[in-house]
Amino acid sequence: MRQEKNKNHRLYNFFRSVKNQFLFSVITISSTALLCSPLANTQNYHLVSYILLFVVSLLSTFLAIGPVLLSSTLSALIWNYFFIPPHYTFHIDKTEDILIFALFFTIALVNGILTTRIRRQEQLAREREKRTNVLFQLTKELSKSSGTEEVIQVALSKIKEYFSFQTLFVLQDGNNILKSSGQLQQEKKLNKEEYKVAEWVFTHKSPAGAYTQHFGQCKYTFYPLIGNRINPGVVAIEQMHEMPKEYRYFWGTFTAQISNALEREFLGELAQKVRFLDESDRLYKTLFNSISHELRIPVATIMGAADTILNSSESENIRLALSKEIFTASLRLNRIIENLLNISRIESGHISIRLDWCDINDLINKVTEDLQNELQPFNFITHVNENMPLVKIDFGLMEQVLYNLLFNATQYTPEGQNIKLDVNYLNNNLLIDIVNDGSVLTTTELKNIFNKFYRAEKSKTGGLGLGLSIVKGFIDAHNGTITANNTNNKEVRFQIEIPSEKPDIINL
Amino acid sequence: MNETIQIIDDELQIRRLLEITLTAVGYNIIQSLNAKDGLIDAAAQHPSLIILDLGLPDTDGQDLLVKLREWYFHPIIILSVRNSEEDIIKALDNGANDYLSKPFRTGELLARIRAALRLSETQSESCTTITIGSLFIDLANHTARKNDLLLKLTATEFSLLSLLAKNQGRVLTHQYILKEIWGYSYVEQTQYLRVFVAQLRKKIEDDPSKPKLLITESGIGYRFGE
Repeated sequence: MRQEKNKNHRLYNFFRSVKNQFLFSVITISSTALLCSPLANTQNYHLVSYILLFVVSLLSTFLAIGPVLLSSTLSALIWNYFFIPPHYTFHIDKTEDILIFALFFTIALVNGILTTRIRRQEQLAREREKRTNVLFQLTKELSKSSGTEEVIQVALSKIKEYFSFQTLFVLQDGNNILKSSGQLQQEKKLNKEEYKVAEWVFTHKSPAGAYTQHFGQCKYTFYPLIGNRINPGVVAIEQMHEMPKEYRYFWGTFTAQISNALEREFLGELAQKVRFLDESDRLYKTLFNSISHELRIPVATIMGAADTILNSSESENIRLALSKEIFTASLRLNRIIENLLNISRIESGHISIRLDWCDINDLINKVTEDLQNELQPFNFITHVNENMPLVKIDFGLMEQVLYNLLFNATQYTPEGQNIKLDVNYLNNNLLIDIVNDGSVLTTTELKNIFNKFYRAEKSKTGGLGLGLSIVKGFIDAHNGTITANNTNNKEVRFQIEIPSEKPDIINL
Repeated sequence: MNETIQIIDDELQIRRLLEITLTAVGYNIIQSLNAKDGLIDAAAQHPSLIILDLGLPDTDGQDLLVKLREWYFHPIIILSVRNSEEDIIKALDNGANDYLSKPFRTGELLARIRAALRLSETQSESCTTITIGSLFIDLANHTARKNDLLLKLTATEFSLLSLLAKNQGRVLTHQYILKEIWGYSYVEQTQYLRVFVAQLRKKIEDDPSKPKLLITESGIGYRFGE
């Protein structure tokens, strides 16, 4: 089966060359004449003309017009020369034979021409149908694909299917500059010279490369992809022969479809970018407003209090009270600065986590000591599992985590109520639960609580909305998870889970 | 108390704050604005303690610290805005006695200064007993008492306690303690240190969950307090 296919293929290739077709027609006519040679000296030489006519019509069903004309002329001449008496001359004796020869020649020509023309038209019709079909398929699949990558993949496969070219796409970066690295996930890459040709094509919007007037030495032919508003880039093809004229027109239609699809994707991405810029502009404004507010309040306190102390002779008690206000304000300022520094560390990805064995009790002591004053109005309950092993964490980062969570709890818990800290170790995981009494969070709040600059509706004044996103960032750095939920409809619970192996302590 | 303290810092406001705070409690002050002057002033005036900023205009404070430590053996306290664990550990390794990051509480600074000065005194006296609050340590006989009760300490626990107590008020890095007590090959084995610190706290602290003597310095090491 496969051999047959191979044979067919070879046959097909043989007949693709016009030279071969001429050769074939000469051989066929000659051999037919040779086979008929026994009839030369008989009265049946008219029969030979029929046989030759038959062969010519057969040939015209699959040969091009040139070889068909050759075969009809050749057969007429051979018949005349070898078969019509007197033999071996082109002279014809009988008037009847002259007539028959003229008829033969005409029939052979007309027959040959008509058959090939019909065949060609049928071929063209088939070709047109195939193209329409391919275009339809292309348009359909392009419209279904989303994202530049996918459009390119569809285009590549369709070009391969129909044109069987080696194809490369080079797209622009959105600022009308071809991307040197933007050659996508394609098998082949352009070298420097070829890339220069691509750039030329992109700026001049006309084809270049092999079989064109410009850069003819290049192995690729480059065509610009031209859209209505933006030109998405350049397509490069590697072709064995120059594309026939009728193909070139179709290729133009084909690439126009691809350009349109790419343009659509480009515009989509552009719109998204604009939306993103809008969003970040809004975020910047929010950030700016809240930071300037947050910074001004403590600064105002410090300025006012210090000014009063400087300019009046208030009693010692008032001076002391004002000094305390200055101190509190400076602590608040310091906290803002720490938070901003931490969030920028997280944002820039510059957290270098230093895991080390830690006694979790140590961590809790440290944080609760720092928050002594803040925790004082609440019923603060700590519980650490008695069999708590050492855990491998970054002490500094986890100190911040715990500090922010507990500080957060002090901001939302009604005075005198519970704040609970519960630490456990289960299945190689460190589990920290922080639960505080107070009003539960809404679904929106639960969803956004770890987002930057997000502040819950009922927040006390003050705070940038950074504390919990820092917590999330530091927990992420530990490959851990943190979740927030409401429990018993009256508590808010933060649950931290951090993977931590147990230490192997031997030879103490 | 007429001890002289040298401040090496280029920030005028910080120097002024330190001057007011320190002279108020009776110290004499020398101010140096950069590393070059700092080195000259220290050599000429022999301060009992140096407060050093790391961000100096002419040289990095860490380099100045190394240079000072070639001949200056009194306490050096670092006071810097740099607060990463790497910077702190590096400074302690370079011979700083203590490290405070800006912003700082002046009360805290005064306590650290007092501890550092006292430490340099006891070191020069080379005493064999140390008393800290209700804790009494006899270095010669390898015994420790709390409220006159003899503590049952293992050999390692006692080495740890005496190492910390001998450096009372000073931050000792994890690596330093591990090296001193377990040896070079153990400097990364912080888990040993954690376990022993927890054990020791149970024996010497009034409330082991709120340690007052054996104090943790986050990510850096331990300090033995008052």
